[in-house]
Amino acid sequence: MFYLIGLGLGDPTDITVKGLEIVKRCSRVYLEMYTSILGCPQEELETFYGRPLLLADRDLVEQGADEILSGAAEEDVALLVVGDPFGATTHTDFILRAKEKKIQYKVVHNASIMNAIGCCGLQLYKFGETVSIPYWDETWKPDSFYDKIKLNRLHNMHTLCLLDIKVKEPTPESLMRRRKEYQPPRFMTVAEATQQLMTIVEKKDALERNTILNELSLCVGLARVGHDSQSIIVNTLREMSQTDLGGPLHSLVIPAKEMHPLEVEFLQQYATLKLEDYNH
Amino acid sequence: MVNFTVDEIRALMDKKRNIRNMSVIAHVDHGKSTLTDSLVSKAGIIAGAKAGETRFTDTRKDEQERCITIKSTAISMYFEVEDKDLVFITHADQREKDCKGFLINLIDSPGHVDFSSEVTAALRVTDGALVVVDCVSGVCVQTETVLRQAIAERIKPILFMNKMDRALLELQLDAEELYQTFQRIVENVNVIIATYNDDGGPMGEVRVDPSKGSVGFGSGLHGWAFTLKQFSEMYSEKFKIDVVKLMNRLWGENFFNAKTKKWQKQKEADNKRSFCMYILDPIYKVFDAIMNYKKEEIGTLLEKIGVAIKHEDKDKDGKALLKVVMRTWLPAGEALLQMIAIHLPSPVIAQKYRMEMLYEGPHDDEAAVAVKNCDPEGPLMMYISKMVPTSDKGRFYAFGRVFSGKVATGQKCRIMGPNYVPGKKEDLYEKAIQRTILMMGRYVEAIEDVPSGNICGLVGVDQFLVKTGTITTFKDAHNMKVMKFSVSPVVRVAVEPKNPADLPKLVEGLKRLAKSDPMVQCIIEESGEHIIAGAGELHLEICLKDLEEDHACIPLKKSDPVVSYRETVFEESNQMCLSKSPNKHNRLMMKALPMPDGLPEDIDNGDVSSKDDFKLRARYLAEKYDYDVTEARKIWCFGPDGTGPNFVLDCTKSVQYLNEIKDSVVAGFQWASKEGIMAEENMRGVRFNIYDVTLHADAIHRGGGQIIPTTRRCLYASAITAGPRLMEPVYLCEIQCPEVAVGGIYGVLNRRRGHVFEEAQVVGTPMFVVKAYLPVNESFGFTADLRSNTGGQAFPQCVFDHWQVLPGDPCEPSSKPYQIVQDTRKRKGLKEGLPDLAQYLDKL
Repeated sequence: MFYLIGLGLGDPTDITVKGLEIVKRCSRVYLEMYTSILGCPQEELETFYGRPLLLADRDLVEQGADEILSGAAEEDVALLVVGDPFGATTHTDFILRAKEKKIQYKVVHNASIMNAIGCCGLQLYKFGETVSIPYWDETWKPDSFYDKIKLNRLHNMHTLCLLDIKVKEPTPESLMRRRKEYQPPRFMTVAEATQQLMTIVEKKDALERNTILNELSLCVGLARVGHDSQSIIVNTLREMSQTDLGGPLHSLVIPAKEMHPLEVEFLQQYATLKLEDYNH
Repeated sequence: MVNFTVDEIRALMDKKRNIRNMSVIAHVDHGKSTLTDSLVSKAGIIAGAKAGETRFTDTRKDEQERCITIKSTAISMYFEVEDKDLVFITHADQREKDCKGFLINLIDSPGHVDFSSEVTAALRVTDGALVVVDCVSGVCVQTETVLRQAIAERIKPILFMNKMDRALLELQLDAEELYQTFQRIVENVNVIIATYNDDGGPMGEVRVDPSKGSVGFGSGLHGWAFTLKQFSEMYSEKFKIDVVKLMNRLWGENFFNAKTKKWQKQKEADNKRSFCMYILDPIYKVFDAIMNYKKEEIGTLLEKIGVAIKHEDKDKDGKALLKVVMRTWLPAGEALLQMIAIHLPSPVIAQKYRMEMLYEGPHDDEAAVAVKNCDPEGPLMMYISKMVPTSDKGRFYAFGRVFSGKVATGQKCRIMGPNYVPGKKEDLYEKAIQRTILMMGRYVEAIEDVPSGNICGLVGVDQFLVKTGTITTFKDAHNMKVMKFSVSPVVRVAVEPKNPADLPKLVEGLKRLAKSDPMVQCIIEESGEHIIAGAGELHLEICLKDLEEDHACIPLKKSDPVVSYRETVFEESNQMCLSKSPNKHNRLMMKALPMPDGLPEDIDNGDVSSKDDFKLRARYLAEKYDYDVTEARKIWCFGPDGTGPNFVLDCTKSVQYLNEIKDSVVAGFQWASKEGIMAEENMRGVRFNIYDVTLHADAIHRGGGQIIPTTRRCLYASAITAGPRLMEPVYLCEIQCPEVAVGGIYGVLNRRRGHVFEEAQVVGTPMFVVKAYLPVNESFGFTADLRSNTGGQAFPQCVFDHWQVLPGDPCEPSSKPYQIVQDTRKRKGLKEGLPDLAQYLDKL
């Protein structure tokens, strides 16, 4: 049997009881660490589970599916995924591969940023399409996520922006070579994300800048959701780009233009400016 | 004794209208270095008697031993032009008022094709070229190549017919025959000029014309030369005709009847061609009298031509006397100097029309305007065209031309390599120039500063540039255009130290070698092999010798030379090729197909390039190659290196976010086209069509890490399914020999898969010229083989000409291409066998 187990938001004890029992009896347990990161080191997990874990990096998960799945027909193999297996990450292909090999599988769900984001007080029902904000480099500056934020805003929906993390990401130069070199791990902060957003906003024409999104528009910056050190701040884009929310992981929400009074009231506890009549 | 000082030269550098920057170019063995001696001796650098034997500009020991120029050598010289000659310089920008002194910066370049990159580097920094042609062999393949290059760089040519002594003494041509030979060479040269230059173009008319004085005649070896101007001056008094008018009469269909004293336009029984009568006859007479020891006649003749023999030469006779007499009568240095001063452009004139060819940036920015006006007060713009080794091992002088501003010792400059992009930091250094120096052939002279229009060397720049670059003080300056070489490095050898502990020395040596030669490529293969790639066998031989003796100073093991191949396809992919990204959420669908004949060459020549306006380019492709205009507008990129003869065409219909992955696709394509699927050789002549793209909804999941490798796999799958083929480089080989040796040539060529496509007698000589195509792979040892089969009478000149498809399927284990692929893979340390399509192709 092959198990895909969600680990929740990061504390070792976030794993479900069901999941923990499976982990304990599996013959091999892989820990996927590139689509999100844990709030604690791998050793801490191993002590808590009382068993060793195999680290599965991007290459192994994307190209070495056979290795992970080998023997899963006879014995129990688990892949641990931070958050929910089908949350912000994309492990659907893995299940398809297991089916292809006629390997039975089970999924153990857990909390993900996709639902935990409700902690800021915005109603999950009113979220539109989720976007990721990738790190820009010299030449690659995609801005299609702005279009999605714009559509969400036009339809009066909130947008959850997942911020890029680069763990064991090969350098562009080394992609061309046989020997891979990896970039140092990076996690995009709320400040970086808002700066990129403002760069895009700058490029838009004045009318769109005023009606869709501008530097005075509200946004919600969240850091380490689900951890004890969780922190949430509500401010304008401009102020947010200067705000340091501390260690990873960060997420950003662009609220809809019109908010329910309860949402406003909830958000107000994280804001210094008065939100009640705020209109940007 | 040198008859000028560095101070005099420095003073002249400011008189930019009195500067001539020129290169001497020609076919191998036509006598460039020998002729250059005449000027060097006139400048007093070497003794007159030694001129023609010293070959002062052949500075290396091996150059002297082999009698062949390998590196181009620059020398600055000071001359004074007499008042009577100054009036011939009519253009206001061609001379400063009240200044007799002229500064000639001369670069003597190699003639052998293998070193033609040196010619390219020389041409870049000069404005005029003295084209030397051996009047016995006539215009040869390399004459044409260098002349074509010169004109492409907007370099104005003048012509010199060398080796007249051979025509007279060995071939014993009569006067009319010799005139016809001259006439033919002038015509041939002008045909080449007309082919590559448009009279209405920015350079205007550049053809050479003896009656204007832009063609010289003589013998570099014997140190004598003349133009029609010299003879016209001798006769103008006697005929009471103006010198310029008389020059016109002395060439072409002009005949003089001695009885009636009338000029005529046609040959008749009792008249004679003026060129023969007034120019060749006196020369013939002198030759005849001296070589046949007619003592009395010599006396009267010498008096007639006004040559007084010095005391120490009184006892000489035969050839020795002939030399003394001829060089006293018609000193070569004087004739050359006049040709150069009168007919070659000053930097002021030349930079006006050369700027647009030289500068990459907008043609109206500060740098462009300063270059155009050759303005010493503008921002500094200097192009470094090559590196010259110093006596200090491992260090180099950066040699180049100041196009605007002034370069000075201690000045802080921006040093920009060829990969510098304005506004970015890559390939850019801000450093001070340690010293500026004047290149004087075998030695250098320190100089305080050098203003625009001059050629000089810099100390302390070499460690910031690989081979070439731009030096400027202007913050927003773009690069000067990189040079385009006419030859490519198609022959390669692998080297390793005999003692493995010497590897660091080898690596350092290779770095120095790469610097010292404009063309050579030093590559480290994935397998760790060190490869040196050069233009031909001789080029590699010299590079290896330099590496072993000067740069690395360690004993080396060398592999047999091998050629590089190209990978192409011959039909359209037999299926739609689909590849999925590692996360399986992105899919690319492509096909490969061959480009039509001629298009890869158009791309090589820059007629079709990434810099063209896409609409114009599409129209060109549609008209010439029947491409669909709308499709042709959507060429994404060329490759490898952004300019190569392969491209990716976007045939998709309304795919969202497509432009977000374009950069990644381009990067993957550059990679794949550089290292083809069969043997990791460059691809050539392959067009890739992208038909459909499916992308993940989120930008993070379609980044470079996902798309680049996928693109490569998809391109490879497309290439494998489109009938992969190998292409090999082919030389155009020109062989000169007497008729008896022609049979031997055919034998050798047949054994080496060569084929002759032209065979003709050189008019007026007993020599034959055979032209053939010869695969480079078969050319190793060709020269020696040819000599032994023709009794040493045949001399080949091989120039890379084109790529040719090797017949046979490289996937068929019994074929020759298969063997080549396997050998190459083995050499590069790749897995042997054939690529497995399943690795690159995914199922839907």
